[in-house]
Amino acid sequence: MIQINPLTLKKLRRFRSIKRGFWSFIILLLLYCFSLAGELFVNKRALLVSYKGDFYFPTYGDQIRGKQFGLDYDYETDYRTLKKKFEQENLGNWVIMPIIPYDPYEMDYTQDESTGFSPPSWETRHFCGTDKTERDVFARLLYGFRIAMTFSLGYLFLTYLIAVAAGSVMGYLGGKTDMLGLRLVEIWANVPFLYMVIILVSVMPGWWGVGWQVSSLLFIMVLFSWTGMTYYIRAAVYKEKARDYVSAAKVIGAGPLRIIFRHLLPNVISTLVTFAPFTIAAAISSITALDFLGYGLPPPTPSWGELLKQAVGNLKTAPWIVISTVTALVLTLTLVTFVGEAVREAFDPKKFSTYE
Amino acid sequence: MNDMKKIKFFVSPLLASGIVFFLGCENPKLKQPRESSTEQTEGKSDHSDQVDQEFTRELAREFAREFVQEFAKQMKQKGFVLDANESLKMSDNPSLKTGLLDTNGKPHPLLSHCSEDVLEFYQKNADCFSILSPEQIPEDLNWQDGSNEKEFSSPDAKRGGTFHAYMRDFPRTLRTIGPDANGGFRSYLLDNNVIGLTHAHPNSDGYYPGVANQWAVGKDGRTVYFRLDPNARFSDGNLVKASDYFFFFYFMRSKHIQAPWYNDYYGKDKFQQVTLYDEQTLSITFYKAKPDIVERVSIRPKPEHFYSELGGEYLTKYQWDPEPTTGAYVALPENVDKGKSVTLVRQDDWWANDKAFFRNRFNPDQIKVSVIRDNDKAFEIFLKGQIDAFGLAKTEFWYEKLKNEHPLVKNGYMTKVTFFNQAPPPSYALRINSQKAPLDNLDLRIGFHHAMNFDLVLERIFRRDFVRMNTVADGFGERSHPNLKAREFSVDKAVESFAKAGYSKRGKDGILINERGEKLSIEVMTGYKHFEDVLVVLKEEAKKAGLEIKLKVLEPTAAWKMANEKNHQVIFSAFGTFVELFPRFWEPFHSDNAYQENGDLKYQKNGELKPGITTKTSTNNFTQTAVRDLDHLINQYREEEDLGKITAMAHRLSKMIHDHAVWVPAWKKPWLRVGHWSWLHFPDDWGPKESTDYEEFQVFWIDTLEKKKILDAMEKGEPVSAQPTVREYTKYKK
Repeated sequence: MIQINPLTLKKLRRFRSIKRGFWSFIILLLLYCFSLAGELFVNKRALLVSYKGDFYFPTYGDQIRGKQFGLDYDYETDYRTLKKKFEQENLGNWVIMPIIPYDPYEMDYTQDESTGFSPPSWETRHFCGTDKTERDVFARLLYGFRIAMTFSLGYLFLTYLIAVAAGSVMGYLGGKTDMLGLRLVEIWANVPFLYMVIILVSVMPGWWGVGWQVSSLLFIMVLFSWTGMTYYIRAAVYKEKARDYVSAAKVIGAGPLRIIFRHLLPNVISTLVTFAPFTIAAAISSITALDFLGYGLPPPTPSWGELLKQAVGNLKTAPWIVISTVTALVLTLTLVTFVGEAVREAFDPKKFSTYE
Repeated sequence: MNDMKKIKFFVSPLLASGIVFFLGCENPKLKQPRESSTEQTEGKSDHSDQVDQEFTRELAREFAREFVQEFAKQMKQKGFVLDANESLKMSDNPSLKTGLLDTNGKPHPLLSHCSEDVLEFYQKNADCFSILSPEQIPEDLNWQDGSNEKEFSSPDAKRGGTFHAYMRDFPRTLRTIGPDANGGFRSYLLDNNVIGLTHAHPNSDGYYPGVANQWAVGKDGRTVYFRLDPNARFSDGNLVKASDYFFFFYFMRSKHIQAPWYNDYYGKDKFQQVTLYDEQTLSITFYKAKPDIVERVSIRPKPEHFYSELGGEYLTKYQWDPEPTTGAYVALPENVDKGKSVTLVRQDDWWANDKAFFRNRFNPDQIKVSVIRDNDKAFEIFLKGQIDAFGLAKTEFWYEKLKNEHPLVKNGYMTKVTFFNQAPPPSYALRINSQKAPLDNLDLRIGFHHAMNFDLVLERIFRRDFVRMNTVADGFGERSHPNLKAREFSVDKAVESFAKAGYSKRGKDGILINERGEKLSIEVMTGYKHFEDVLVVLKEEAKKAGLEIKLKVLEPTAAWKMANEKNHQVIFSAFGTFVELFPRFWEPFHSDNAYQENGDLKYQKNGELKPGITTKTSTNNFTQTAVRDLDHLINQYREEEDLGKITAMAHRLSKMIHDHAVWVPAWKKPWLRVGHWSWLHFPDDWGPKESTDYEEFQVFWIDTLEKKKILDAMEKGEPVSAQPTVREYTKYKK
């Protein structure tokens, strides 16, 4: 287990004291948790149905068919209509719907005359309006956020895993390994990232399932963007390696693995943490850009890029899409950047120079 | 460093989007020759109906292949005797017999101007080219001149003005044949311009005279006699000669034009003989009697005096040097602004100025076609008045971007037109691969039909502007089935059918499962990104019937490849169609295009397919239809020469394919929608019935005085019309 360096702890404490960054971090965390529990707030399935004295909790779990509630169809219950029906019948049955009673895939063609692009409305609970096929923009934003954030976290983890491995090997072993490794990294880094992703995504076998497609998109993106971090890790490892405590560890007889994991990485971790928020921001914008171009997540997965694409094509006809999507994007990226700045400030070595 | 990173990630998406937009700019519409039946005759700026070019090209190839096979069959059946006769004739000098040379070995006077190479070609193919004396024209011919047809232009039309149009890409050549020649610009040079022997009348099943004043179909039903108009001239002043029709085949069969499709289409197999009688009279013999024989052999003259003969330098020599034309407009090299625009100039003394069916058409003095690479940009330029007309087929253009309340329309500066036409629509449909399990089950396919909620798509996405396509052969007039209807969306019927196919229980997620616990999940693939929303609606609605649809939106070429390899379960696609007398069934529904085993070899005695037969790839039978009775009827249909019987058979075929349930018809667009500046005028009916594009028949004209008036009024902010100028022409509405 990696022990957190007391210096790093100090830095984390300092981060907490930077109010703007810290609160941004908390808000971001809450937003992510909110999106993870999105089914409870934004969903076409009811939270709770009371029918003939029995309670049903349709949110998670199996689909409940219309016939279960005395409706004449066998497919999934339309809870919004059910609610109206129960209210009209007044037989003591009731339905509690989430705040926004729509899911990101469902087309709300229930309003008369709706032909796509309904403006925001309190009455229909489309707080951010609807898109071209009458899907709720807020629902798509929320679930898109969830996917984008999860995707970015996976991206962060994987890129850092590769970067740390390659960086520490090069930095610790040095010499020819370093020279050769660095050249390879430089060559790899010069492969244009987005174009390669676009090319690879477009030749991806079509018979792969959605899950496979998303994870392979993640792997492809990681494959072409881990190089940036290796430089920093390598440099940091190089610097730390020359310190006395490493020599001391060597003298005691510690092997290279032990030195890297027990001694070097805890000291290098501050570098990683400083970069993490910016990597997240980069990942969010990349996945959005790819979706925008049509090379990202397979349809009809909710995604911000897809929303932006619709928005750009219909700036005048459906301004609510561009407004809500851009607001959400700017807000998220700003929060992430605030966190990043605070982390950087907290981890600034100038504040904590120690003499040995 | 962080800043660098940030910049990188802000800039790279931008850059990438730039590049991708550039790459994504649609290529100019690739046009196959008119004869190919593959031409996509949609409005120019009509994105929404872009039919995959790859599909159309493949159809052309397939069509060519079909002819070769059919010819071989014909030869087997009756050709042998003919061959023997032919070879008897050939035993002495064939050129003598066919009149190409006189007894002194000199060329016939009609061919006296021919170069050696050309003459040699005629002699080598003496069975195709012959010269007979005028007395040998059969006497009992029923000569037609189209005088019973009505003209479709307006007598009010005025000459003058410049018509501003746009193209997506600068033409790569001004040749009309050979590599790169079938770009979108070709229609200005050839299809909408050059005059052929006769033309199919766009308002009736008849013909109107072109370069030929009169024509007659011979007794054999496959030879058509033509009498040329003595006034017919090329744009360089030379008269059109009968021998230009000999030369046409020399040209089209030459390897130097590097156009294998034409080589094949105009090959001996189909155009079996051309005979000249005198300066004005010729006949062309097709390989088979067809009800639309006149249209099939009405070729366009090739100016022999311009080419003299063809050599290896053909492609480069004529790259920017267009051939003289019988049409009204000429593209002169000096009017080509490379990369920017091409200006076509109207010949003032055009030979057909006062000719019936051509007068009052081709009215603007000039047509300036400029390059605008982006459709949305073109629309903005249209609003500025620098383009005269713009296709408004896309719902968003018609309803949102150029609303009836738009100041330009409200004040009458601009006119919005809906014209109901009658032409075969591109065949938008879900094509079910009946070879792939579980779709090999008829009940399951019928269930799939009933699970597709096209009603909702039409109502909500297309706002009821499009109508449901009902059969595999809609838009062919009499030949279309009169009352067959596409299967409607019905959850009950779908569930019932799925139950018959073994999927009777609902799983936990509401999707049907069968006894083995397999989910009813079908993959629907498409290459049309712009119809993603349609498929999303279908997918969500199909869930109600317990059907899970996995959507796959691919690049057009990738989708095409998969369908070609018959690896799809269901593909959403369309083939281009053009105005034709009767629909085709062989390419998409004959079993010879589904399996490699020929004819009935692939069937067992009871009509079922034998096990272990080999799939045939790269054909247009995307549904892998193989039904013995259907095969037999299609064979008969292709052999049939009587229009009445063809009609009856077409109806039966449509019904049989409907019963086989492999083709879910999607929608068709019963109209053309165009926005144009109000100084552009159209005839009272707006255009002929079969118009598929506002420029196709060149019946509009520009009122230059009115243009000035409108521009003045715009400057002052005064309306020129009290009502919004929105017109609907329903004369041909069905």
